[in-house]
Amino acid sequence: MPGLEPTLTHYLLLAAALLVISLVGIIANRRNVLVLLMAIELVLLSANLNFVAFSAYYNDLSGQVMTMFVLATAAVESAVGLALLILLFRRRGNIAVQTLDVMKG
Amino acid sequence: MLALIPLLPLFAALFAGFFGRRVPRGWSHWVCCAAVGISFVLSAYALYKVVFLWPALGIQAEVVTLYTWLDLGSTKLTIGFLIDPLSALMMVVVTLVSFLVHVYTIGYMKDDPGYARFFSYIAFFTFSMLMLVMSDNFLQMFFGWEGVGLASYLLIGFWYTRPSATKAGMKAFLMNRVGDFGFIVGIGLLFAALGTLNFGEIFARVDELKGLEVSLWPGLEWSLLTVACIGLFVGAMGKSAQVPLHTWLPDSMEGPTPISALIHAATMVTAGIFMVARMSPVFEGSDAALSFMIIIGATTAISMALLGLVQNDIKRVVAYSTLSQLGYMTVALGASAYSAAIFHLMTHAFFKALLFLAAGSVIIALHHEQDLRKMGGLRHRMPITYWTALIGAWALVGLPPFSGFFSKEPIIEAARFAEVAGHTYAYWALTLGVFLTACYTFRMIFLAFHGEPRYGETSHGSHKSHKAHKAAHKEHHEQPKESPWVVTVPLIVLAVCSVFAGILFVQPVLFGDYFGAAIRGDYVAHPAMAVLHAEWRGIISYLLHAFLTPPLWLALAGIATAWYFTLVAPKAAGRLTHGLGAVFGVFKNHFYIDAFYERVMVRGTHSAASWFVRGGERFWSEGVLVQGTARLVHWGAQSLRYLQTGYLYHYAFAMVLGLLVLITLWGRN
Amino acid sequence: MSFSAFLFYVLAAILLASAVRVVSARQPVHAALSLVLAFFTMAALWITLGAEFLGLALVVIYVGAVMVLFLFVLMMLDVRQTDKTPRWRLHLIPALAIGALMLLEIVLLIVDGVKTKTALPESAASMDKPLDNTRELGKLLFEDYLYSLELVGVLLLVGMIAAIVLTHRQSRFAKRQEVSEQIAVTRDDRLRVVSMPAEVEAEDATAHSPDKTGGH
Repeated sequence: MPGLEPTLTHYLLLAAALLVISLVGIIANRRNVLVLLMAIELVLLSANLNFVAFSAYYNDLSGQVMTMFVLATAAVESAVGLALLILLFRRRGNIAVQTLDVMKG
Repeated sequence: MLALIPLLPLFAALFAGFFGRRVPRGWSHWVCCAAVGISFVLSAYALYKVVFLWPALGIQAEVVTLYTWLDLGSTKLTIGFLIDPLSALMMVVVTLVSFLVHVYTIGYMKDDPGYARFFSYIAFFTFSMLMLVMSDNFLQMFFGWEGVGLASYLLIGFWYTRPSATKAGMKAFLMNRVGDFGFIVGIGLLFAALGTLNFGEIFARVDELKGLEVSLWPGLEWSLLTVACIGLFVGAMGKSAQVPLHTWLPDSMEGPTPISALIHAATMVTAGIFMVARMSPVFEGSDAALSFMIIIGATTAISMALLGLVQNDIKRVVAYSTLSQLGYMTVALGASAYSAAIFHLMTHAFFKALLFLAAGSVIIALHHEQDLRKMGGLRHRMPITYWTALIGAWALVGLPPFSGFFSKEPIIEAARFAEVAGHTYAYWALTLGVFLTACYTFRMIFLAFHGEPRYGETSHGSHKSHKAHKAAHKEHHEQPKESPWVVTVPLIVLAVCSVFAGILFVQPVLFGDYFGAAIRGDYVAHPAMAVLHAEWRGIISYLLHAFLTPPLWLALAGIATAWYFTLVAPKAAGRLTHGLGAVFGVFKNHFYIDAFYERVMVRGTHSAASWFVRGGERFWSEGVLVQGTARLVHWGAQSLRYLQTGYLYHYAFAMVLGLLVLITLWGRN
Repeated sequence: MSFSAFLFYVLAAILLASAVRVVSARQPVHAALSLVLAFFTMAALWITLGAEFLGLALVVIYVGAVMVLFLFVLMMLDVRQTDKTPRWRLHLIPALAIGALMLLEIVLLIVDGVKTKTALPESAASMDKPLDNTRELGKLLFEDYLYSLELVGVLLLVGMIAAIVLTHRQSRFAKRQEVSEQIAVTRDDRLRVVSMPAEVEAEDATAHSPDKTGGH
């Protein structure tokens, strides 16, 4: 078991917990697409935490560069996602996830 | 130069076929006749070389390979010519008869709308036949074999507006398919055993085949050589119309008469005989195949002669005669008297083409009337046709010194001295066949040319084609007159050939050393030819000897019988027919062979097909495979669509589940 | 326990708590604000790890721009949450079960994976970090990763254009050409040929009128 001093393990465990929380949020959320987008942001954030932690561990800044790229991608993702959300709202009048079932087979 | 021999007719055929309708009518026949004529001259030159130049040089055969079509490593498929005495003789016969028929056609077909098409077909036929005869390997021979079959089909169905003609063409094609199947099996077996299609290599290595066996059925082992030979011979049976694959030949008389002369008497039907003679080194190795041939040939000779007696269509009489004579040739092959078969083939080509063309001449004169009962007394109207036909008939019957005598007599003798099983049966069948041949031939001659004219009372309905019908109206009361020179000149040339071909060539071809190594008989095992050689004392003594053997007297008796029943006492023939009604019924119905094919083969195939349609196609293919697949997919999709809820969180859940599985399976290590 | 360790635990606790709040809040506004808090704590964590530039960028970009965008959309859409269902419902059970199982596996993996680890000089204080994180990062970014950086720039541009195209709504009052309609027009849309009686002068008409009427 890891000791009390924060080590790489601690950061990884923290990121894992964050990931699981946000995944559960994605699965369980039935009301609001916006919250889904936020949960996705959290998933990306947990990945970023791993990058930064490993960057510090190996004393290599490449991990931080990757984090920057992920941040940029996440920004684009949220921009497009919000645009789609707006379209969805215009068309249907609400953004509840459980009403989105036109793909039903 | 050899390549020109088959290629000139091909080019002529292409010219007449593609441009014949756009150029003046005369061009078609000039081009085709010239091409075939040059082919004949070249073939004659080749024969001259073979006969007069080569022996001095010691050359037995010449193999010319034009090019290699396909090189499969150990196997080479080439286009090449094998020129030896056998093929040179066949080339001359084919091109000569073909040339004469071309010339004759100018007169015979002059009113036909398909004039250029007809010339295209017969020139193509000449090309295919030459390819068959000249080839030095099985593949090319098969190509020619199928080419002549195609030409035959096209020409039988030449008047394609007549349902009977198209049906006859179809029948000829289908019957030949049965034979060709055997041919392919034979070729395939030889190829599988020796790995080559080249004649020379096959002949050189034929001894390797002797010990081999092939399993026809698990537990039933036969000598490979016998199976291959019988397969090849089945091919020959189809092409040369031997019992029981003969039924297409009488029906093929639906075609124009020049075709009957060229294809269905003189050349194509002899392709089978030629092929077996060409394969003589292979056939010599199998007594069973020789025995099979001799029995089939004898059966054909006797049964078809019987049928020839009761025909009333002038062309059908000649057609059954052809079948019967082909049976003679097959017997000669079975008796290992290959040179006798080829010799009879040659003389038969001349006199049978002569008889057909004479029949055609009569048919033209009577405006496409073919019924013997409506002829008679034409002797004075058409003297040239009469005398040439009479010469043809004498030759066919085998009266000395006409050509038929010299070719038929040795065959009968060979059947007598052969030692394969069935030769006694063949000997008696052929001897009786001589009598029957004389009967039906002279019945035809007497009915057509002697007696009282009966064509005046012809009914209008019997005219075959529309055009002829109109013409008949116009010249209804005109008397039949001699045909134009393009018709009579070929008749005269063929008549001369029929008279002299036998007496001139019997010495070198049959008893001399003409064929050399081209035909190799095993004279120890199959001594028929050796015995004939030993008895040969020259032409004069052979002629005298004929008066001591039964065939000549039988032939004369046959002529007398025909004379009695047709001219002296026609009523007697009617009474005889009436008295033997049952027997004649069998004859009239061609031994019920056609009926058998119709009932068993055609309907059997039909009902088997409908069974397959119901069981195989409707149920299995359509029901199970096609619709079953669709139903399975539909059912699967119906089940799977419950997974497609359309809800985002269900999909996300599945993804997370998948991630979990991945971690569990591959995470640790 | 050192101060940095203390800081780590506090920040981690806030981070997890705010993350839970993001996914469980009934009001989207609450969720968004919790997300802001999560970003803040994450930025603080990164700074303790020595990634000062990234931490500040996270605050500026995410808290300052992206989250404001989220809130802006939220306000604009005016989503009424009429859902009165209880927070804990049946479908949560499989989600939570899967989550727990996954967490367990990952934890085991991590603990297993670092069992053989050597020294751990991780905390920001003990790290022999470069003097100027921003300068070093900039060098790396504009030298080694220049190509990737430009690709990311293109990606941002594409995302921007996509967002504009998606949400762009045409004004009903704007006047503009419809080129496709202009091209697709046919003669019949524009031109009408009407047949009219020929104009004739008055005298002629009267003079010839009997003939003309006679033809009818």
